[in-house]
Amino acid sequence: MLSLGGGGAKSTKPSFVSYVTPEVLSPRLDWEDFDEERNPVLKHTQDDLSQRGIFGTLLCTNFRVSFVSDETPLEEMTQHFKNKLYGENDIPLMCVDNIYGVYDEKKKLITKGMLKNKCPSKMIIHCKDLRVFQFCLTYTKEEDAKKIFQGIAHHCLEPKSLKCVFAFSYAASSSPEVQRSQRTVMFDSKEDWTQEMKRTKANLRIVGYNFWMKYGCAMFKASTLPVPQEDGLMQGYMERMLHAVAHTHLYSLKLEDLSETLPTIQDIQQSYNKFKQFFLIDNSTDFWVSDVKWFSTLENTGWLDIIRQCLQKAVEVVECLEKENTNVLIMEEEGSDLCCVISSLVQIMLDPHFRTLTGFQGLVQKEWVAGCHAFLDRCNHLYQKDKECHSPSPVFLLFLECVWQMVQQHSPAFQFSETYLTVLSDSIHVPIFSTFLFNSAYQRESTMKAEAQHLQRGPLNCPAVWDWSVQFDCKAQELFINPLYADKLKQDKAIRKVPRAKHQRQLSLPSSAFKTPPKKGFFKDETESLKKMLRVKRISRWMASPDSPAAATREFYETWQRRPLDYHGLLLPCLDGPAMRLWMQRYLRWIPEVQILGGGPVAITSMLAELLSQVQDLRRELDMRSCWETEAESLQLRPGPLALTRTSLRLSSSFPFASNRNWTFKPAIPTSLLQSLMVTDRLASQEDETNEVISLV
Amino acid sequence: CTIGSAGLLQIRHFGERIMNQSGLHARGRDMFGLCCLPGECVLQRAVLVRKKLSPKEGGGWLSGTLFCTHFRVAFVPQDSPRADDNADPVLLGDHDVALASIEKVVAVGPSRTKLVTPNSSLKFTPEELVLYCRDLQVLCFLFDRLTPDTQAVEITYTIAKTYQPLKPGTILSFQNAALGSIEMKQFLSNRRRDPGMNWFESSADWEQELERTGATGWRVSSVNDRFEMSTSLSRFNVVPQKVLDTELKKTFAHFNEGRIPRWCWRHPRGSDLLRMASFQNNIYHEKDDIRNLELILFGGQPQCVVVDLGEEMPSPADLQLAHTRLRALCLGDISSSVSVPDDKWLSTLEGTHWLDYIRCCLRKAAEVACLLRRGHLTVVLQESEDRDMNCVVSSLVQVMCDPHCRTVAGFQGLVQKEWVMAGHRFLSRINYHRDSDKEEAPIFLLFLDCVWQLWAQFPARFQLTENYLLALHDSLHLPLFSTFLANCQRERCRRSQHLPQSYTPVNGLRELPRGSAEEPVDPPYPPYPPVWDWSLQYSGQRRALFSQPVCQPCSPVPVLNGNLNTNTNMEPNWVSDGVPGSVFLLSRSSFSCPSNLLPWRSGSGSGSYRKSHRRAPSSESLPALERLIKACGQPDAPQDFHDPHQPLIPLLLGPCIRIWRNCYLRGALHAQAFTHPMSSNSRHPVERLASEVEHLRERLAQASTGRPSNRKRHEHRRLDSNLNQNANNGTFLFSSSSSSSSSSSSSSSSSSSSSSRTSQQESPCRVSGRPPTAPRYRDGGGKHTFLFGHQGEPQGSQRYAPSPSAKLPKNSGPQLN
Repeated sequence: MLSLGGGGAKSTKPSFVSYVTPEVLSPRLDWEDFDEERNPVLKHTQDDLSQRGIFGTLLCTNFRVSFVSDETPLEEMTQHFKNKLYGENDIPLMCVDNIYGVYDEKKKLITKGMLKNKCPSKMIIHCKDLRVFQFCLTYTKEEDAKKIFQGIAHHCLEPKSLKCVFAFSYAASSSPEVQRSQRTVMFDSKEDWTQEMKRTKANLRIVGYNFWMKYGCAMFKASTLPVPQEDGLMQGYMERMLHAVAHTHLYSLKLEDLSETLPTIQDIQQSYNKFKQFFLIDNSTDFWVSDVKWFSTLENTGWLDIIRQCLQKAVEVVECLEKENTNVLIMEEEGSDLCCVISSLVQIMLDPHFRTLTGFQGLVQKEWVAGCHAFLDRCNHLYQKDKECHSPSPVFLLFLECVWQMVQQHSPAFQFSETYLTVLSDSIHVPIFSTFLFNSAYQRESTMKAEAQHLQRGPLNCPAVWDWSVQFDCKAQELFINPLYADKLKQDKAIRKVPRAKHQRQLSLPSSAFKTPPKKGFFKDETESLKKMLRVKRISRWMASPDSPAAATREFYETWQRRPLDYHGLLLPCLDGPAMRLWMQRYLRWIPEVQILGGGPVAITSMLAELLSQVQDLRRELDMRSCWETEAESLQLRPGPLALTRTSLRLSSSFPFASNRNWTFKPAIPTSLLQSLMVTDRLASQEDETNEVISLV
Repeated sequence: CTIGSAGLLQIRHFGERIMNQSGLHARGRDMFGLCCLPGECVLQRAVLVRKKLSPKEGGGWLSGTLFCTHFRVAFVPQDSPRADDNADPVLLGDHDVALASIEKVVAVGPSRTKLVTPNSSLKFTPEELVLYCRDLQVLCFLFDRLTPDTQAVEITYTIAKTYQPLKPGTILSFQNAALGSIEMKQFLSNRRRDPGMNWFESSADWEQELERTGATGWRVSSVNDRFEMSTSLSRFNVVPQKVLDTELKKTFAHFNEGRIPRWCWRHPRGSDLLRMASFQNNIYHEKDDIRNLELILFGGQPQCVVVDLGEEMPSPADLQLAHTRLRALCLGDISSSVSVPDDKWLSTLEGTHWLDYIRCCLRKAAEVACLLRRGHLTVVLQESEDRDMNCVVSSLVQVMCDPHCRTVAGFQGLVQKEWVMAGHRFLSRINYHRDSDKEEAPIFLLFLDCVWQLWAQFPARFQLTENYLLALHDSLHLPLFSTFLANCQRERCRRSQHLPQSYTPVNGLRELPRGSAEEPVDPPYPPYPPVWDWSLQYSGQRRALFSQPVCQPCSPVPVLNGNLNTNTNMEPNWVSDGVPGSVFLLSRSSFSCPSNLLPWRSGSGSGSYRKSHRRAPSSESLPALERLIKACGQPDAPQDFHDPHQPLIPLLLGPCIRIWRNCYLRGALHAQAFTHPMSSNSRHPVERLASEVEHLRERLAQASTGRPSNRKRHEHRRLDSNLNQNANNGTFLFSSSSSSSSSSSSSSSSSSSSSSRTSQQESPCRVSGRPPTAPRYRDGGGKHTFLFGHQGEPQGSQRYAPSPSAKLPKNSGPQLN
């Protein structure tokens, strides 16, 4: 799939005119089309203290905006964690968040209408994975600069149709041997669902679940049929299904309407927009300034509070399921946003299977992909501007945040690592994976079919994001695994069979069926009537003042707390003020000012990896001497990530990201001093300064 | 649940025992299962009580018996084994709390909660008893239905009546309850001090420190031996060699409280750290004095930077306010229903400014640390009294720059040097007697928090752990230790010795007076032990948590021994750009040369001296200094990452300074139930792996010798490490086995083949030693230096050694056995 520059030229369209010889280019995907490229462009490193930068070429393809440095790259030793699809200086087009132009020292947001304007002297690109790029165009020929600017802006800001997404050309040209990740249950066939039902069903109560699942499955299949018009039929399904549920569990079903208690997706979007501004930093001075009121500004965005609310709600649902043995029906207007968040969280809390890597991927497939979360609209991949029907909102990211909080608090319970979550959150914006591209399974199948016809080929094969080998090599993938994961011991299984029977009475609404009707608020009306129909008694305290849930769940906590913690049983997160933390790895990884060199949590992890490898070496040695009898007390070990073992102090706290920034300028010395230094620094000549720096080290 | 008494088993006896064991037993050392101190008697007892365990202890509940004595509230878990009567007394068991550290007693009834004071009466039977402690712990005891009601009520009353709100009178009775019995006095006076750390009490101690850091040109002066020159300074001070004692005597008058510039530490690159109080105004500077003052200040270095800590640093009053607020925020209090809503927690935290103050101290220390890297200067910390912030900053600088200060022994020495001997006013600042409310300020706590921040950012480069810092934090609230019970060394000496001020033992104060116990008349105070005698407070397992399980051979500083290697790798213009004799002021993070910095230079009368140096020296050398500090902030060249002596420069931005959860928030768990228990039988993975490595290595040794040697020993060791499980707190554990493992391997090696010798050689440095099959690690050399280690060698050999050995750090450290 990868080829060096020479191969890359082959597939480019004949109209493409290259200004650089292909050999200069970094490894690139050979199905990319070049659209624009111009040189030379000065890319600034993130601090503007030294006004240093790298000259290079800016390219815009139909996949990414790429910057190719004129300098020969440093040796590859730091690249433990290289993404195969795009490099450190590449921005997938979908990942572009905002583009700013600097006109006469003034920064302006570039919008669609401004394309015709004059070309800015500097272009600042904010990415959705929170990188910030600054490209200085003053050294470029004016018409070139204008072209590249307009090209990039066009590709990143104009609404486009789904057909133009790079994934299709990628799928069309990539070799068919891209194998599906075989371990992840994709939940796109009936067998997968039956499998899952088998896995979870244990007692009589689950019958309803099965029932439900069958219907869900049926509806899911139905919705993928290319006949999306029968509202009435769907409604019929719906009623029959709910009746069925009601008949089996009339007395034990609780209805939870999320839209009443949780923030709306617009709130989420607003809050996240405020929140991310902290981390999109054009220069270090901004960061020093924001530092003064760090905590209160963080709090004012409300993002952490939204996370807390989601976890809180999930805990309440868990309480119902676990303590009161009732089924819970989660409802929401569209049934595919916060429903997905809550139901996935509940399942993670209840079922240790979903805390493994494959289980988690299966969960996302089940609840989000098959559950028809509108990824396309929510992530706004197509840059649609009309907020009316496509309100973008980082709902999936919110879910990942919630999971991260739990991973933080109970790290041995999770098989995957923080890095895995970070990478997953980045992958949302890589327009290659079918997972995040569509609003529903129906849309996926129909679009794929149409595209395949269009390209006159066999069935297109878009990889799922779970196929990590597309992005990372095996060594990098090792970092996805939490070396501290407390594996379940074999003998424990027998003991725990009885309590585990209670799992999975979670009901979620696979709502694909309700997405199709065009009229808004359909489901809401239905909810009301359903409530009457089913005579579901509302859980009174959920309706009461906002304080009471905490008081109610507290008791639930206390009972849970008294039991010794079982990493393979029910797991509840802490929710109090200090427990909600900032996802440092995701949000701060690109900011060199906050990277702790030779410190941070990665220091512990690398120490562990070191020990792990020693243990393994020793065991191997003992094996060779054949005196190794297995003991019950010996630890369950998995190999630690190799990338960690042979490095030591040099890892920064943002490992494995931003590794090559270690040697860039990094002022760790305090705010006020730095600010006073900036004044004096202007006086000192540039050359002088570099001399000093070199001499010191 | 067997921590307390099992720990007793492990304590070894130091020195000879005078105590009659049967007599002890007759005194009721073991009452109702409670292992009492000599002279301690149980006032009240409640059975079938459950204690709520913190997540650190494993969570959940533990049932047992609750006691209240004159000295403590003790809790004995149900099936804890009987204590060994021969064991040394331990002041507090693992579940105990001293009465003096209780701040508030709250009884929780069926429908209400009540703050119980000595005078109040309970109108209900408490179901739960919550003790709020000064050290931010909260203990929660739950009475069972089967607990007799009278017992529940009585013990609540008893605790409320006997816990002493600190007052001048009560503190002495508390101390006497703990330490006042004759047996206890005898026991304490016969305890030997920890020889592994430097106490800085004799001139030999100071000389040892000079030798360790490779400082030359300095000598230990005993001019203040009788505290005549300065009452708050220690007996021995380090001053430049060139200044004679007679000359030195004249300089004391020029400084506030006579606190002259004294040497604290030498940076491996050859610059010295000094500290002093502010200058006395209104004093005439004679010419000779000026010469001596300059000599003291410059100490043989060409340049001097005065760091003013007065203006920017938080005042003690600020700190006190911030800490009070922080306590209120963190200690969720069920007796007062006002609590901060979760979504306002962070901004409230910011509003306390505690983190700002931490940042401020760390910043200052980082600046000084960068400055010291330059070499060839003295950095003099100046504060008006030289007894608060100077202590914080100078010790932080040393923690950042000197790996030795990140070991337990080194850190204790540091506190002795920069706090105890330097005359930090512990007694007034902690305000044990509640008679100095205006002076109360948590300055030492601030320092501990700063060290914790460093630890949190660079956990792999500390040998001491968070547990150790916590233990020190908690001990500060216990008014039993000589370390904290005086404002200066003079007071300490007078109290402990009851000797006339003029009398001084020949060898300094190395030994506590043995004679005092034999004297028929008891001194008014019990003999206070130093806080560093951890076995008085903590059982063996818990002490084992004070240091990291994995250790690294601590290679000596690769370069620079004193003045000999004067940084030839440093650029010459660093040295030359400043005019010799110039003095700079570092204030508000910038350098300046105010003319009145040194009062004797500004006065017109003394203008004749070194006139040439008063020409504006700033123009060329100021930017150079500033660039130095700036450049230090950036990481050095790649190879320097392997250098364990790279100073720890903390990041100070908003997201990097955090709250010390395990200290401040550990009490909140009772108010807010949202904490998770950690399963009690899982140790921290690092510890598990470290013991696994050791285990495997041992087996390998056995296998290669071909005989199942000392199997029994091995099993015993495993048992020990199993015991460790209970006391897990989620950070590092030190398996209690290091000594036994090295001894076991040494015993097996007597008849072993050469291959076992290999493994035996490796065992001292435990984990960091390489298995023979992995030669690829060997050339890694310094790459493994994150494993921190302190050689268990005796004092004196921790000095900086010349460079050749640095290339083979593995073999450079002396072997343990």
